[in-house]
Amino acid sequence: MVVAVLRFPGTNNENDILRALSLIDGAKPILVPSRKGLAGLKDADGIVIPGGFSYGDYLRAGAVASVESITEGVRNLAEDGKPVIGICNGFQILSEMGLLPGALLPNDSARFVCKWVYLRVSDNTTMFTEGLEGSLIRIPIAHAEGNYYCSDDELESLRDEFRIPFRYCNEDGDVNDAANPNGSIDNIAGIVNQKGNVLGLMPHPERASRPVLGSSEGLAILENFVRATKC
Amino acid sequence: MLTKEELEHAKTVLGRKPTETELGMLDVLWSEHCSYKSSKRWFYLFKTEGDKVALGIGEGAGLVDIGDGYLAAVAMESHNHPSQIDPYNGAATGVGGIIRDVISQGCKAVGLMNCLRFGHPSKPHNAYLLENVVRGISEYGNSVGIPVVGGELEFDDSYDDNCLVNVICVGWVKPEEVVRSSAKTPGHHLVLFGSTTGRDGIAGVSFASETFSDEEEDNRGAVQVGDPLSKKIVIDTLQELIEEKLLEGLQDFGGGGMTSAAGELAKAGGTGVEIDLDKVPLREVDMKPSEIVISESQERMLAIVAPENLDRVKLLLEKNGTPYGIIGKVTDDGHYTAKWYGEEKARLPISLLVEGFPVPERIEGKIAAQPESMSWFKEPEDYKKNLLELLGSVNLCDRSWVYSQYDQHVQSNTVVDLGENGGVLEFPNNRKLAFTSDCNSFWCLLDPQQGTANSACESLRNLVSMGATPIFIADCLNFGNPERPESYGQFVEAVRGLGRFSNDFDIPIVGGNVSLYNEAEVDGETKRINPTPQIMIAGIFEKGFTPIRRNLLSPWANIFLVGETLPELNGSEYQRIATGQVKGVPPRYRPEIEKQSMNVIQEAHQKGLIRSCNNVGRGGIGIGLMKMALRSKYGFKLNLDYIPGTANSLAQRLYSETSGRYLAEVTESNQAEFLKIIEKHGSSVCELGLTVKEPVADFGIFSLSMDEARKVFSNGLKQYME
Repeated sequence: MVVAVLRFPGTNNENDILRALSLIDGAKPILVPSRKGLAGLKDADGIVIPGGFSYGDYLRAGAVASVESITEGVRNLAEDGKPVIGICNGFQILSEMGLLPGALLPNDSARFVCKWVYLRVSDNTTMFTEGLEGSLIRIPIAHAEGNYYCSDDELESLRDEFRIPFRYCNEDGDVNDAANPNGSIDNIAGIVNQKGNVLGLMPHPERASRPVLGSSEGLAILENFVRATKC
Repeated sequence: MLTKEELEHAKTVLGRKPTETELGMLDVLWSEHCSYKSSKRWFYLFKTEGDKVALGIGEGAGLVDIGDGYLAAVAMESHNHPSQIDPYNGAATGVGGIIRDVISQGCKAVGLMNCLRFGHPSKPHNAYLLENVVRGISEYGNSVGIPVVGGELEFDDSYDDNCLVNVICVGWVKPEEVVRSSAKTPGHHLVLFGSTTGRDGIAGVSFASETFSDEEEDNRGAVQVGDPLSKKIVIDTLQELIEEKLLEGLQDFGGGGMTSAAGELAKAGGTGVEIDLDKVPLREVDMKPSEIVISESQERMLAIVAPENLDRVKLLLEKNGTPYGIIGKVTDDGHYTAKWYGEEKARLPISLLVEGFPVPERIEGKIAAQPESMSWFKEPEDYKKNLLELLGSVNLCDRSWVYSQYDQHVQSNTVVDLGENGGVLEFPNNRKLAFTSDCNSFWCLLDPQQGTANSACESLRNLVSMGATPIFIADCLNFGNPERPESYGQFVEAVRGLGRFSNDFDIPIVGGNVSLYNEAEVDGETKRINPTPQIMIAGIFEKGFTPIRRNLLSPWANIFLVGETLPELNGSEYQRIATGQVKGVPPRYRPEIEKQSMNVIQEAHQKGLIRSCNNVGRGGIGIGLMKMALRSKYGFKLNLDYIPGTANSLAQRLYSETSGRYLAEVTESNQAEFLKIIEKHGSSVCELGLTVKEPVADFGIFSLSMDEARKVFSNGLKQYME
């Protein structure tokens, strides 16, 4: 199935995503530069918005990209129930677009942080975590604005509706403050929308997609995504 | 500024007075930074050729064959002066410039490294410089999407007024896609693209070729401003242009701006250029032609395009929204002609402009001999306290405060992260390459020749301990004012040291840069940096080999020390901590011993006998062992009584910085075979002891817990930065 990998000016993880998707049976990844607008998405069965620094993140991470015309196409696909993943800058764009609640604030440290982290996958299944429920994933992060924040009401509904598939934890699986790399509320690393077909994720599954990179535990998330494009 | 002699020379050759525009052009191209007028005469000492070298020193990047139809690329450069004035933009544009060098050769840029020197971070200004240099590198490199895979950081008071920011970019290219930096065919178009031209970085190279005075602030306009978003777009655009083979030649705009870019293209092609400065897309409308021709505005490239390809090139540039101008043509008249709305503003023979300077006389001062004596040496009163002090000292402690700010994984090729002996990247032919860089400026201060060669040995050992075979070198030579004999003497001696090393070990030098004038007048006195010949070496792994890390991997394994230990503590970290300075003859360069140890480790790696391995360098085996344990689950229990060599006390054994030594973790079952290899090569070895399950460092006479050590180690730098 056709997976559109978006590239805004300044996106820089598009090739990583294309490469990781090429490892997955049945995925037909295509690169779609954002200037193609709505037309660029007409064949897409799913969308990945990769990480990077769209428009240099010059105004606020993801803010400029979120008002480009191609985002209308993203919205349409999401409404049709097709799977959409925003990774890192992609998560920031999805939250700027309002497809996901909350916002990604500057890290607590006020600095960019790149390191390996562990994620605790929620016991409640989502489209993207089938087969991973309750497991532990080793995966890298790399961001300056990954500190997830939302209102108390929003947090309550995220929890009640089991929409927090990924939380930062330590290597033993404990979700605690010491394992929180950026100050995210409730150690949130990734959330889904109400329909469950739009995922925003700060860590980079494509960077944990081959054993030689130190982990291939991120690939399963992308495999689930590809499977969902077929539904 | 041009010297009187240079001005006279130009007048004689031209037969007239140079115009204002011409003066500016000569000033930048004859600056030390662009012309290498004090340094180039010594490069014959380097080994620069080899079977695998596809393109040596001279263009944007050196290219080396790594098999299966791929070349690895490397470029290395300094951005010292700009970073001292404006650390954020200076460092960012240093990264930008080095990326341009690599992509201008048609290569894909896949890794960055940075080697930094500052005064002690306890002084707020130094901490400010470090904080902002790192932020500049981080925000620029992360945005462009090239991972940082290695680097170095050293502190010394000599860098208080001249911090050093050396940057490296590595990449790859297929031989058929290499773009050369030459303009061979008259009638071809000069196409400038990537960004507009402004007043930033006007004559940046000229100010980098002088020492600092008290008016540093006045130079702020000479620092360029980076724009990583434009750079990313340039990279994407360039890839399309190269894939369609639309470029006949390419050069980036670096030091010297358009004067240098077009001048070098013409020089390499044996042609001339005619440029209409009024066709250059400007950022500021009222710029003078004399400013346009030397502006160092960032993110600009100069392409040579054949007339039949021009329309396609324009289309691709427009599609990607990149500012561009068709600014002139290649000519056959051997001149650099610059016009402003038809009026000739400059017309200089290429042979005069590029390398036509009168070669200046430079005097090599003698290096003061250092005493052999170690009379300062005392055993520490408290070994444990002393080791903790060393572990927490700024030149040995944890650097993760710095490197956690760099994206190490973007592009998804990173096999070994920062914090190891070297960074490792996987290349598209599935071969893994390791990259490391070193310079012990204290050894180089005491003996520039031996210190340089020995610093290179430390890089070599970093690679060998991981299992890689060294394949090429790049360097950046940072020194003081070459017009002063004592400073020039240090430079020439260091070049001799690097020349010796490259020949002794048969590793070609394929890229480099020289940064002189790193000194300042402080209260009427000259303050010069330590000689800092920064050496980067790349190594390649055999197909299918998994790089060996330095973290201990198993309990009840033997820890071996390969190589003998001499009482070489002059110039060591132990001496610096104990006495507050370095003095005496530093550890000697011993190529034969170094090779012997290298052969042992390489053969043992081939046979898969070593589980973890570390180079012994700064801080001796004491620090080397701690670094193997600090990020491991295990500890060790040792007996240091039987170490081969002439070091005759515990502290000498722990902290001697004798070269040619490795630490290796070998499991019981592999021990016999490992010892056979040692014997075969006639090397010295000693079984120091065992790894243990408990996180404890037990040196026999004293011991400490790993938790305690970790706290001190990780806090060493952080305490000044947070």
